[in-house]
Amino acid sequence: MEMIIAGLLDSLSPASLMFVFLGVAIGVLIGAIPGINGPMAIALFIPVTYYMSALTAIGFLVGLNKGAFFGGAVSAVLLRTPGTPEAAATSWDGYPLTQQGKGEKALRMALYSSVTGDFVSTVVLIAIASPLAAVALFMGPAEIFALISLALTVIAGIGTSSISRGLMAAGFGIFIGLVGTEPVTALTRLTFDVYQLGSGLSLIPVAIGLLAFSEILLQLEKFTVKGGGKQTIHESSTKLEDRMLTFKEFFASSKTLLRGSMIGIGVGAMPGLGAPVASFMSYDQAMKRSKNREEFGKGSLEGIGASESANSAVVASSMIPLFVLGIPGNLAVAMLMGAFMIHGMQPGPLMFQENAQLMYGIYGSLLIASLFLLVIGRLGLRYFCKAVNIPAMILYPIVVFTCIMGAYLGRSSMFDVGVMLAFAFIGYFMRKFDYSYVAFLIGFILAPEWERALQQVVIISEYDTYMFFQRPVAMGLMALTLFVIVRTCKLNIQSGRKKQVEAAAAKAGQHKAD
Amino acid sequence: MTRIKRDSIAYLAIIGFCILMLTWGIPTYTPDYPGYGASPALVANVSVGIMMFMACLSLLNIGVAVYTNKPIPAEESEFPEDMEGDAGFTQVGRVKLKHLASTMIPCVLLVVAIEYVPYIFVSFIFLMVFQYVIGSRKWVQSIVVSVILTAVLYIVMRYGFGVPIPGPQIF
Repeated sequence: MEMIIAGLLDSLSPASLMFVFLGVAIGVLIGAIPGINGPMAIALFIPVTYYMSALTAIGFLVGLNKGAFFGGAVSAVLLRTPGTPEAAATSWDGYPLTQQGKGEKALRMALYSSVTGDFVSTVVLIAIASPLAAVALFMGPAEIFALISLALTVIAGIGTSSISRGLMAAGFGIFIGLVGTEPVTALTRLTFDVYQLGSGLSLIPVAIGLLAFSEILLQLEKFTVKGGGKQTIHESSTKLEDRMLTFKEFFASSKTLLRGSMIGIGVGAMPGLGAPVASFMSYDQAMKRSKNREEFGKGSLEGIGASESANSAVVASSMIPLFVLGIPGNLAVAMLMGAFMIHGMQPGPLMFQENAQLMYGIYGSLLIASLFLLVIGRLGLRYFCKAVNIPAMILYPIVVFTCIMGAYLGRSSMFDVGVMLAFAFIGYFMRKFDYSYVAFLIGFILAPEWERALQQVVIISEYDTYMFFQRPVAMGLMALTLFVIVRTCKLNIQSGRKKQVEAAAAKAGQHKAD
Repeated sequence: MTRIKRDSIAYLAIIGFCILMLTWGIPTYTPDYPGYGASPALVANVSVGIMMFMACLSLLNIGVAVYTNKPIPAEESEFPEDMEGDAGFTQVGRVKLKHLASTMIPCVLLVVAIEYVPYIFVSFIFLMVFQYVIGSRKWVQSIVVSVILTAVLYIVMRYGFGVPIPGPQIF
């Protein structure tokens, strides 16, 4: 109990409150800019957190992520430009409302739905993470090894249409993650005589290059090669009923919001699914169960609520696998895991024993961030709307130069800037060739832990090849990994055959027409 | 170049990289087996092995489809920018080498030049060049952005975080 109170008091310290507030405000502002999302913002700001205490740093980054999720709705509603896939469903109903002059009302609905989803999810995280972590403590290295193998397999499917390319990306990430000092012999490995690689590749330049810089390269391509026409925001109505959201309008969607939150929590807790799945699933369910389903897609407040409550609920619930098992379920949490490691903590069930006060402090910061999101969103909505209009000619040089200096800040090394540029180059090609950079990054982060678990298994088992067969949980997890691979391949083959039939039919139709 | 051809070349490049790593990179740059635990080369070999196996499988898949003359779905054979209608939320597409080079070269030059030229000058010049490359022709705006950004990051690094400024010092 003392730990809980001490942790919560830590989260109420002026420095912690200030940085959570700043995180949420910057997050909303950044998220409102089309093309910049939560993980990218976390990658850009991790170097800054080097100079903060662990609680302040994690609070700041969590606030940043929460803010960016809501911020994504601003450009989706006002410009129909979802910067991230999860905001796409919000734009389906948000933009028609903007066209009707009710953009502000749509944004208010998005804000309150986001806060609802986020708050419910945070409460669930607090309630179940610690008891689950206690159970997870019974897991040994064999189970951890099997679990990471399963997570890497599941995650390989994110951000690519082909699991084989996802696995290649994950394999490459693991390979790059092994560069540096080998844990058993303490000798350097895969450094290719480059002495700066002796301590391994730092997460910061790799993440900034892969997430932020390569994204900017692609956006600049659209802007300079295809021509980035400036979009205009529809004028907002001056009528009060078109701008404000009444209690009746909000509570009319209460069931949808609760359902969306639950879908978001469920999806977020499972590694590999992520916010877009939650958002689309919740929207689909809301449409099927709504009395006013004909309004969906034409400016339904319920539609906005369904999408936003679900995708915001993912933010906190995706931390469940991180806190319980030490496995990041999505990119934003992978970045948070990196931040934990930078501050000398290994995410996982032991955190509740080794850093109990800090964990309760983080819980406090998560709740405070939800409150700040409501306050900042409510007071600053009009100002954040202006962020969508920042000229690209000003925005891109700022982001590019921040990437360069962010990579330098971590270890005050220009070598890291070179690493960042190299991974920006790799990231650009990965995106263009449909290789999952998410799987790469998670493979890179988990590689040392995966290897450590394997080493422990080999040493503890005294080279017993049947070690896994003596551990039922580990065996079950390995079987599940195999099942995921076989099932995904089967589904891919089936969908490929279906597409082939469709392609053949289309070709035959074309011949007939000719 | 068609997308199938490009993907095939990519798989071949990956296979080439894997062969190079398995035969030279990993054996040369991995410590010898210390006599306990797993070999330091094990996980590296497994990860590269997975990459190579998957690349071979994908290449084989393409080869079989081409050999048996099966129609390949548009999502896998065409670039999204050439497809009719909405191709969904994707970043897959042709590589614009000219754009890539024009954006990356100033950044690489900045990394090289900052070793010899003081941060303030090299950053200002980099930002001016970068804005020109992305199409900015408003000189006053470019100068203002360059000066403010250079100064803000200098102040933040030097006085905010106490980090040594890269390159030769003039202040």
